[in-house]
Order: sequence, then C-alpha cells, then structure tokens
Amino acid sequence: MKDRAVLVIGGGVAGMQAAFDLAEAGIKVCLVERTLSIGGRMAQLDKTFPTNDCAICILAPKMMDCYRHENIEVLTLSEVTAIEGEIGSFKVKIRRKPRFVDEAKCNGCGDCARVCPMGILNKFDMDLRVRSGAYIPFMQAVPLIYALDRDKCMRCGLCEAVCGKDAIRYDQKPEIVERNVSAIIVAIGFDPLDPSGLTEYGYGRYDNVITALEFERLICAAGPTGGHVIRKDGKEVKRIAWIQCVGARDTRDNRPYCCSVCCMHATKEAILTKEHYPEAATFVLYTDLRCFGKGFQEYVNRAEDDYEVKYIRGKPGEIREKENKNLEIFYSPSSDRVEKLEVDMVVLSTALIPSEGVEALAEILGTELDKYKFFKLKDSYNPTETTRAGIFVAGYCQAPRDIPECIAHGSATASRAMEVVLGGSYDRRA
Amino acid sequence: MEKISDIINRTKAFYCVDCGKCTSACPLSRFGDYSPDGLVERALLGLPVQPDLRIWSCLTCNRCKEVCTYGVEYPEFIRGIRSLEEKEKGVCAHGELYSLMKLFTFTHEREQKRLNWVSEDLKVSNKGDILYFTGCLPYFDIVFRDLGVDTVEIARSTVKILNKLGISPVVMNNEVCCGHDLFWNGDLETFKKLAAINIQNIKDTGAKKVIFSCPEGYRTFKLDYPEFFDFDFEVVHISEFLSEKIEEGKIELRKIDEKVTYHDSCRLGRHLGVYDAPRRVISEIAKEFVEMESNRENSLCCGTSGWTNCDGFSEEIRKERLKECTDAGAKIMVTSCPKCLIHFKCHMSNRKGEYDIEIVPFEVLVARAMGVV
Repeated sequence: MKDRAVLVIGGGVAGMQAAFDLAEAGIKVCLVERTLSIGGRMAQLDKTFPTNDCAICILAPKMMDCYRHENIEVLTLSEVTAIEGEIGSFKVKIRRKPRFVDEAKCNGCGDCARVCPMGILNKFDMDLRVRSGAYIPFMQAVPLIYALDRDKCMRCGLCEAVCGKDAIRYDQKPEIVERNVSAIIVAIGFDPLDPSGLTEYGYGRYDNVITALEFERLICAAGPTGGHVIRKDGKEVKRIAWIQCVGARDTRDNRPYCCSVCCMHATKEAILTKEHYPEAATFVLYTDLRCFGKGFQEYVNRAEDDYEVKYIRGKPGEIREKENKNLEIFYSPSSDRVEKLEVDMVVLSTALIPSEGVEALAEILGTELDKYKFFKLKDSYNPTETTRAGIFVAGYCQAPRDIPECIAHGSATASRAMEVVLGGSYDRRA
Repeated sequence: MEKISDIINRTKAFYCVDCGKCTSACPLSRFGDYSPDGLVERALLGLPVQPDLRIWSCLTCNRCKEVCTYGVEYPEFIRGIRSLEEKEKGVCAHGELYSLMKLFTFTHEREQKRLNWVSEDLKVSNKGDILYFTGCLPYFDIVFRDLGVDTVEIARSTVKILNKLGISPVVMNNEVCCGHDLFWNGDLETFKKLAAINIQNIKDTGAKKVIFSCPEGYRTFKLDYPEFFDFDFEVVHISEFLSEKIEEGKIELRKIDEKVTYHDSCRLGRHLGVYDAPRRVISEIAKEFVEMESNRENSLCCGTSGWTNCDGFSEEIRKERLKECTDAGAKIMVTSCPKCLIHFKCHMSNRKGEYDIEIVPFEVLVARAMGVV
C-alpha cells in the first residue's frame, strides 16, 4: 500500500509552497522545520524586490495557510535523522527537539518572555537584538508557541510561576517520531556567508562593516532599531556603500558562482535607505550588474533616476577604518587609477551558501551534492529531481534563485511529488 | 620560448573581468600610474604590453593575486611577460648586482670567498644533515653598509641560534645566488644554471634539511626549483624551525619591554603563506606584540623586489608602511627579509630623525633574546 503522504524538509518559502500545493490537492504533508518557526529567510527581509512589497506581509498569510491546513502537519525544531525504503514508501525518522513548553497548552501570551531575566542575542535578528530566554524568534512566528533556551537557562522558575496555562516543561526530552511517505521534498535554503575570512573588507574588525542581511534587520521597522539605520556608535548613516559579490564569484574559496539575488537585493536596500533618509548618499560598487529578471533593469533605472543611487563599477580591494570609525573604500573605476570613497557604513552583499548541515542531510537522504554543495540534479532536464528516485529538491538549496523562482520551484516539486503519490508513475518508469 | 598567448592561458589571465580589485589593492597603483588589470586587459585585447616600462614596475608582491576572485595569477603573468624574448630592459636599481649573479654561473673561473663572514666563534661543518643556505647577504653587505645595514649580522645570528640548539650547520663556500632576482626579471636560462649548481652542491654535502633565513631563497627553493629539478632535501624557514622548537620547549628567550611589530615580507607571507611562525616566535620575546594596520595577507610591501625599479613611488610605499608602524606605537619593526630591511633602512637613512623606529632582522632579535650575540 502506497503512503499517500509527502515529507517536506524546510519551512521556507519554497518548502511552504510545495506543502501547500500538495495539501490543496488532498495529499497529507509533514513539513519539518529546523528552527522554531516556519517562514525561512524571507521572514528576515524587510521588503522584496523589484516591487518593494513588505516581505512579512506577503509571507505571514502563507505561513498561516500552511500551518492551519488540515492536510499539513508542521513539525518545528525538528530534523530528519534517518530514512528507509524507496520511492512510494519511505519510512522517515524525525528528531523533535524539546521546546520545554507544552505545544498544546501554550497560547503565545508571552508572559514567560517578560519575566525571564536572561538576555541572549537573537539569531533571527542577526545577533543585533537581545531576546529573552523564553522566546519566539520574531513577532509573526508560526506557530506562536514560546520556547525556552535551556542551554543558558538558570532555571529560576519565574516562567513556570507566571505561566497561566501551566505549559512550562523543564524536563521535556527529545523524541523520535516516524512518518510514512511516498515522496520527499528537500527545500533547506541557504545561509549567508560569514565574510570575516575576507580580510580585505575588515568585517568583524571594523565596527561599521555589516552584511546585507544585517542591514535588512536594521532597515526593518520591526527590527532591532525600529527601522533606523544606525551605526554601533549610535549615529544615523549619511553615506553608505554596498559592495557586491563578497565571497561570491570568488575562486579563492571554491565559490565561483553568482548568487543571483544580490544586485537586486542591494538595489532594494539602497532604495529603502533613500526612502528612510532622502538626504543620504548611497553607492553600489559592483562588478557586473546582473538585472536579468522581469522588472529588474527598470528597478535599477528607478534607483538611479528617482532615488539617486550611485552605481560604481569597481570591486574594492581594500577598506580602511578611520579614527571616527568612517570607512575609506579603495576602488578602481576604470583600471587606471585608484579612488577613495569615504562612507560611514559599508554593507557587504555576501555570498549565499548551502545551509549548514547540508552534507549530513544529503548523506541521510542518500542524495548527491554538486561541487558547491548544492543538491545535484539527476539530469538538467528534470530540474526538480535529485539523484535518488522519489526525492525532489526545491529552492535555493538546488541552485541560486530569487523568491518567485523558489516559489515556482516549490510548486514544480509538488506536482512531481503528486505524480508519485497519485499516479504511480515511478512504477512505469522503473 | 613562450608566446604571450601561452602566458595568458597559463596564468588564467583570460578570467580577468577588469573589476579593478587588484588595482585598488596594489601598493604601487595607490601611489603611481600603474594598474595590474589594466595591463592584463591590454594583453587580452592584443595590444602590445612590450615595450612597456610599467611591466618592470610591478613588485610581484602577490597582493593582486591574493585579492583576485577570478584566479588570475598576475605576478606569474608579469614574470612571463618579462621573460619574453622581445623585451625592453627594465630600469634596474642595482644593475651591478645582476652582473654578479650572472658571474656566479661560471664556477670554474675562480673560487669564491663566500665564507669570510664565518668567524671563529661560529661552529659550522662541511658535511651534515642540516644545512644553512645563507643567501647573498655576505655579497650584498658591502654594497649597503653605508645605509647602516649589517646583513652579515643575520647570517651570524642564524648560526649562533643553531649552535645554541646544538647544531653545527653545513655552510657552503660554493653556494651561489639562488637566482630569485633573475627569475623574476625574466632571465630563466641563468636562473636554471644557478639552480643546478646549488642543488648539486647541496646534494654533495648530504644535507637532509636546508634552513633559510632569506624568504626569497626559501620561495625559490620551495616553489620554483621543483618546477625544473628533482631533489629530496627538505626546505624550511628559520622562523618555522624555531617555532617548532618553541613548541617543544627547547628554547629559552629573554623578554624585551619595547613594543614590537612584524612586517610580513611578500615572499614569506603571501607567496608562501608563512604568517604564524614568525609571530609565534616574536610573541615569546616581545612583552607587547602589536599588529600594523595592514598585516598578514593584506600587508603593505616594502616597495621594491628583485632590484627592479626603485623610485619615488617605492619611497611613498615605504613611508606609508613606516607610518603604520609608528601609528601602531611600535618601537621595533621586525623583518624577515634582508631586502625589506635594506629598503626601510635606506628610506630612513635619507630622513634622519624622522622616525623613532628600529628595524631589526628576525634572526637578530631571536639571537639577542637567546643571549648568544
């Protein structure tokens, strides 16, 4: 008997779309997410390009649609640890890490967070904000169930004392659950590269060199600074520069690929800066502007014409910090002279790399990765099939792509998984 | 003989996208009319790169290669261009030394007096496992004495350090120039002759390990000789050797109070990736070790290499580097390369009283701390 269910690994925008499409077709889905909330990287963004739509405003309804769907079971804080079987009948073991909160009882009131005396950097905010030891990663988190950070917990008992639902469970243990599915969709997304290894730009050494995702949290109204782009010394920015392809298109560390989204991403961030601070000067230092998508070139034109974003061709070779913590960028605009640009903040458009743990997951799944650790396709005419039958791949973890493409890819994997569940096409092919 | 297209292919120059990153990192471009990717682009467009005196300006310091994200081997590209048959001769800061280097290849002419510096208090051998490849210090010493440079001190300190560790290193009277400067200035033929002589002479001593104090010689033996010749002796820089001995707890060092910084030479640093070993040793000696603004792979060059162009731009680079040293508050700048030493001392000797810095060779610092000099 075939199991009329599909496992989706990764609750980002690609995984959610795949899960939702399958669920709408009447297929049971188990959506496994490693963090506390579904939503993925898109939830961290302030706006999306090239329309400047509010990211969370588009995403939150999708997150709710997924979570509330009768055919979707969302398992957060969970990771796949083993699979057995083959296409049509996989048996999956999933490790559910304890939340230390009874999921059925917690109503998300946040009383525990308010009394918890702990202060811990919030990873969702790129460590730019302190959260409590009892927490949700962001306001719109789905599910709205708090969790305790027991690694650092002092076990003072305050959260337990104030919880009106008696939902605190200090002694919760991890559990292994099993699900039987016909097909598996992998959509584990990307991580931004930590650019501190690229010492020429001084990230980690200079106060006001930050990454694009950090900037995204700063410019976000719900972010750590309430949308104010301020430096470590508290000053608001007046001159800000983006440096493109930081760690991407870089053979030094086997990352020669283009990350596909950063030209537009930086353009968006520059436009948002001008919207917040019309007097600010914004510069984008690029190698090639890759405006290949629908509306992309117009977006850049608009940035230049309406927002006076200055695009400069030239990849900087060095940044130096001045005494006032301003930054001097050295670049060569036409390869015959070196110019200096002084700004008060530098944003690095860092490479986006396959998520941490991708190798372990690929091994569990028995699928191959390519030389950059993206999931390898069976062949290029099946852009959703991994090297193992019945396991499909969606989104950035297969190759660099932007949000709409990730969503389309998610839908594509859903339809391929449907074939397995409903049509049994794998029998005919074998 | 290579053609320019061969050089482009070999050095992956065709990957250059003219992004200007190398130019903006290049110490020379910062002060002079020079651009690494500009030159590469000329070559790619089929425009003549020879005769162009600018190819002789390149410091081959590897900064461009270090920052290039497309894998262009720019210093090797320059070396290739300098080796082309049809070439304009570069302006050499010390032409007489080139003649000397070439003379070394005529071994039958006259026996050298290479070991004049070996005084009676130094214990050395003719045969043995460990050999100290002295390099050209004894020859150059007399040329640069008037700058207040004592390069023989480096050789003597090295031997004293080794003696203290119970080693009487082999030193060779028939050692010749390693050929580094000729190699980087495009004279491959003479380079190969010198290499063959050195390798044969070292093999004759039975040495298993060759220790270098000169980063240029070390680079040449480690990366360039193996391209043309086979040999099985191990090569190691004195800083690496000492760093290991420190780990083993075999060296006692006196601490000094002055703030110390370290200048990465291009050959030992970016060319060979040896950043930690000298720092490991210096940190044992200096109570306070500080880094300059640019350090390790981002280090500013000393301004000249291979005795090619030394001009106002080179002086600007030195000035900048010494300013970094002053800004870091260091009183002592340790160098691993005798040429860096010469170049900084030369700059300072023409600007008496401007700098409150002492440039100390790595080996001398260690020998002093070991109490052997």
